Amino acid sequence: MTNLAIQIKGLTKIYPPDNRAVDALDLEVKEGEIMALLGPNGAGKSTTIRAASTLCGFDDGNVIVSGYDVDTHSLEVRQAIGVVAQQTGIDYFLTGRENMVLQGHLYRMKKADINARIEELSSYFELDNSIDNLVSAYSGGMRRKLDIACALIHRPRILFLDEPTLGLDIKNRKILWKHIDKLNKEFGLTILLTTHYLEEADNLSHQVAIINNGKVQVIDTPDALKNSIHGDSITVTFDDVGKNEQAFFHYAQQQSYIKGTTWEDNKLHLYVEDGGANVAALMAVATDNDAKIANLSLSRPTLDDVFLKYTGTSILDTKEEEGDEWWKQWAGKGGNTGKWKSQWGEGDSDSEGGDDNQAWKNSDWAKENSGVNPGDQKREEAQQNGAWSEGKQWPEQQSGNNTSGEHKSQKWDQSQQGDWQNNEWNKNRDGGEK
Amino acid sequence: MLADTWHLFNKYMRITMRMPMWTLFTLIQPLIWLLIFGQLFKDFVQLGEQDYMGFMVPGILVMTVLFGSSWSGVSLLREITAGTVDKMLVSPVSRVAIVLSRVLHSSAQVIAQAVIMLLVAWILGATLNMNPIYLLMAMLIVFLLGVGFAALSNGFAIALQREEPLVMIGNLMTLPLIFFSSALVPEQFMPDWIQLISAANPISYAVDAIRAVLSTTPDLAIFGQGLMVLTLFAGASLAWAVTAFNALRD
Repeated sequence: MTNLAIQIKGLTKIYPPDNRAVDALDLEVKEGEIMALLGPNGAGKSTTIRAASTLCGFDDGNVIVSGYDVDTHSLEVRQAIGVVAQQTGIDYFLTGRENMVLQGHLYRMKKADINARIEELSSYFELDNSIDNLVSAYSGGMRRKLDIACALIHRPRILFLDEPTLGLDIKNRKILWKHIDKLNKEFGLTILLTTHYLEEADNLSHQVAIINNGKVQVIDTPDALKNSIHGDSITVTFDDVGKNEQAFFHYAQQQSYIKGTTWEDNKLHLYVEDGGANVAALMAVATDNDAKIANLSLSRPTLDDVFLKYTGTSILDTKEEEGDEWWKQWAGKGGNTGKWKSQWGEGDSDSEGGDDNQAWKNSDWAKENSGVNPGDQKREEAQQNGAWSEGKQWPEQQSGNNTSGEHKSQKWDQSQQGDWQNNEWNKNRDGGEK
Repeated sequence: MLADTWHLFNKYMRITMRMPMWTLFTLIQPLIWLLIFGQLFKDFVQLGEQDYMGFMVPGILVMTVLFGSSWSGVSLLREITAGTVDKMLVSPVSRVAIVLSRVLHSSAQVIAQAVIMLLVAWILGATLNMNPIYLLMAMLIVFLLGVGFAALSNGFAIALQREEPLVMIGNLMTLPLIFFSSALVPEQFMPDWIQLISAANPISYAVDAIRAVLSTTPDLAIFGQGLMVLTLFAGASLAWAVTAFNALRD
């Protein structure tokens, strides 16, 4: 039986006055596994990592890390883990080596062991040539690598990575992925990471946990999650959602090939059997209802579709947290973490337990169409029920498909073909399938 | 805890040594006071046999300590924002050592600044007792005052959680504390109500103790009294800062 490296049961963290950043969250990470926490800003990812790494207290629940209770055996937990937070935390006015030496001392390591470990890690992260340079001269990617190297100096069994590639360009991101993957494969390091990048969760992790409103909505392998979305994904974007577009939605979801629908502001996500063959039929429904489609794309389901299904918002639309250097964040803002943020943050998008994923509710469209748009109701229902699960269909679909024979028999209006051709049909959205 | 304190102190000293100008910048204001105030008031304030410059130097040293140590909290906030404090907190390092190392670093810095100020005053012709033993005793007072105010600055940083109010409080406190003490004028020159405040002001005890040992006729009784009060002040401030830091958990 595989041992559990991290076991979280009923974790609840409430920020005053009643902001439930994490709400009865359960999570298990097996030894040697990479688990990615995927969720919108304010979903509770960072708070979960902070609680598991002894950085913040919590109001309820049990957190066992490497066999130790974080509440009663915090010292043992700290010795067993390495943590890389969103802010690098390394000193810019020290050299890479000095940072690592200090970190080794803080873990009460012997000098010879520290030196040996620095050689080993600087070589592993390809920092040999710059290890004696001041960190202020490092690039963002090098700083991140040094940060991870510092977190590994004492040979932890578990590594927490909070947005490890935030602010890095794609080249550096991929380099870091290679290192993280190697750490897991070669050294059996258990890794719990949070990320906004779908590709990161998809490529790196064995398991993905989608978190929303402080709760885990679903945990599974990336492939299983993607397979849970049956068929292809068609995203229809409208300039404006009026009566015609609502009628299109109404009739579209009655088509037998439509397996699921999700509204996201003025975008309608449709999960379709054999999308390539059925997109023309779908366009016919749009034409019949005189729905003005601004954009249409067809792709295989990605983790974004899974994310959308469980959180009601696309991760591609969530505001990316700034990967600014600390001095930019510092300028005029004061502290930017934990207690600091909760007391002084002015609508900071990163504030845990925030309502960012409810932003659609405040959109002009949502206000104008309150109580009218069926997608609105579905989303409400999905959120209340923890989103629809595999195989679950909306009542309209369950009660029978294709009730509108009239629409089915209507022919594709050739006059609309020009509009259709102008629409984007990108089968490789998000880079397509792996 | 001592080893942790040493390693962290070492880090802060290393960073300071890489930015020596910062240490010198904080000397500008006390230097202006010494040069301008000393010259302006030297004939105005009649102190019998003692020259005003010599009288004023202990006050300027204390001012140097206040200006220097009040920045300690600002750098703590910077470290919190940069994630450096979190990096320490996830390690098994002693929490007391984190505060202690910062406070000791700040005190070491103000001692270096005080030595420079003392040398400048001596070069300018202030009458001072330059016996190394008495100079060391004066620096002991500077150290304790530095510990006290650096700890207060760190404590306020955690309580206020933002740089702007911290700097504002630092600036607001410094001058009144100086004026409500015997730093610039002898106690007998003060109105009764200021004398009352002065008696409760640790700055007065620090100034009197330094003045007592830098005088050509040292008074160890006054020094002893100052040493006792400042040890209590430094201890209490440090205890408060450590308590505030230990509560620093979301």
